[in-house]
Amino acid sequence: MSVKYIPVQWNRNKWLYDAVMLVGVVLFLWLFIFVSPELLSHEFPINPQVHNARAFGACAFVMLTVILCIGPLARIDRRFLPLLYNRRHFGVMTVFVAITHASYILNWYFAFSSSDKYEALLFANTSYGQLAGFPFEIFGVFALLCLAVLAATSHDFWMKFLTPPVWKRIHSLIYFAYLAVVAHVSLGILQDQQNHTFTVIFIGGALAVAGLHAYAAMLDWRGGDERGADIDGWIDICDAGDIREGFAKIKILPSGDRVAVFRQDGRLSAISNACAHQNGPLGEGRVIDCLVTCPWHGFQYDVTNGRSPAPFTEMVPTYNIRLNGAGVQVHRDANPPGTYVEPVQIEVTA
Amino acid sequence: MSDKNNPFFVGYLPVPGPLRRFLLLASVLVVATFLLTGLLIGSTQDEPPASGFRFDYGRQTVTGVIELTPYPLLRVTQGNDLIKPGKTLMLTSGGKAGVDMRAMGLEGQLATVSGIILQRGTIDMMQLRGGRQGLAAAEGDPPEMVTEQLGRWKVAGEICDGKCLNGAMRPGRGLAHKACANLCLLGDVPPVFVSTQPIEGSDFMLITGPDGTRLPDAAYNYIGQFISLEGDLERRGDILVLRMDTTTMELIDG
Repeated sequence: MSVKYIPVQWNRNKWLYDAVMLVGVVLFLWLFIFVSPELLSHEFPINPQVHNARAFGACAFVMLTVILCIGPLARIDRRFLPLLYNRRHFGVMTVFVAITHASYILNWYFAFSSSDKYEALLFANTSYGQLAGFPFEIFGVFALLCLAVLAATSHDFWMKFLTPPVWKRIHSLIYFAYLAVVAHVSLGILQDQQNHTFTVIFIGGALAVAGLHAYAAMLDWRGGDERGADIDGWIDICDAGDIREGFAKIKILPSGDRVAVFRQDGRLSAISNACAHQNGPLGEGRVIDCLVTCPWHGFQYDVTNGRSPAPFTEMVPTYNIRLNGAGVQVHRDANPPGTYVEPVQIEVTA
Repeated sequence: MSDKNNPFFVGYLPVPGPLRRFLLLASVLVVATFLLTGLLIGSTQDEPPASGFRFDYGRQTVTGVIELTPYPLLRVTQGNDLIKPGKTLMLTSGGKAGVDMRAMGLEGQLATVSGIILQRGTIDMMQLRGGRQGLAAAEGDPPEMVTEQLGRWKVAGEICDGKCLNGAMRPGRGLAHKACANLCLLGDVPPVFVSTQPIEGSDFMLITGPDGTRLPDAAYNYIGQFISLEGDLERRGDILVLRMDTTTMELIDG
């Protein structure tokens, strides 16, 4: 959380996160670029430019695969949530690795001719009507453009400027970028491989991404948030006793939005489940120091009015709440973000 | 629903104790993934065929007769220790460019060429030095060169650009290299057909369009792919030249 925009709000966990990822990437590139030629000991070695292009390309694929596995892993097991915390840094790192791959390709395969290398990239192969020999480079260009857009808009400034829903839609491009990378590799380097080690790793990585997303989606479908019944505009949430102190119950409203009903100091309050930062699931967070804390990036809100504590300015909508016997009900219409709603006292039975 | 039994991570706060061991394990797994994949992918690259610039031979200078197929060939008449008379050299410039324009006025004449040899098996190509230092008319009457007609053949294999195939790039053929090959061929680098089986003792032959034309536009869709085609074959010195019949070109499955 911040009251002003700075390039990176560093903290110890971010340093550790970036260090671990950087060690992984540097190890990959060092082994590929410097160690593997010795192991291969080819009499007529692969051109260093091609070898380096392959190293950075393969590294970018592994990085993207890891990035895309983190999301579903965090949904399957919440202990993976810390890997989500600083994922944007890893994404930006991936863009630089991918740009290096593209630079090696451009300055080798598309250089040394009388044509501009960027133009050559577009006209050298125009066999778009066939699968074998398809200009697979175009998929790489598309993926790189997507990644560049994501990296350029990764800062919180853009999230606030674009609004979280728009920002999230834009950042869904990561899935199209990954599909494009899969097509780029499948129609490119895989067509010429005699040794299929990379093929196995590539297919394994792509299947891991697809499988984890499918499994997480299945878990969400089976055990996900339930839709509350609408009775004259009031939505049944649960029995008041079902909500533990400091935690929340989540329900889906008729509008499709989710509401999180928190219990704090024996009183109930209802706020939007979507964090103002990245639409993180506030209801999966908990109350820390009297403030609801988002499990994704730690943004905090006063549960009675949906406002972040001063000097922060983030706000989420609140909902009117009432008890109907032992049951908790929330009004289906959200109040404007930051609206105070008097909490409902739970009657304590001896 | 939040769960009070799970440690709750907040990025700007110290990591809860029970989560530390898990995150340490996850970090080791991430690093190990990069380590293993980097090592495995890097150390299992296919070995390129024996080919490349022979800088170890030094700069070569020989004289012979220029023939335009239309791609220029040099039929060597005065060789040296390495390049004997009777040898035929394909010619190319630096980068992705042929020497068509430079050789155009020298067809059928004696010329001296100088440059670096690119070699792959029995097929040789010379990358000429720039300007007249690389290619210049030589004095003397050119001897008559014999072109042996070998009839019509049906061949199976792959059309490549001769320069990358000869090791200017390693690897220098295949579908992943198709755009580069197209760019070379558009720059008039001599195209070479790599046959799956030796023909008249050779796996490689210079390939041209029908009736002494350049590689036809239709062939560019087939570069780097396994195809069959028919054409008229001829021998010029120790090089085969295949004049393709464009209408017979077709993909071969598998």
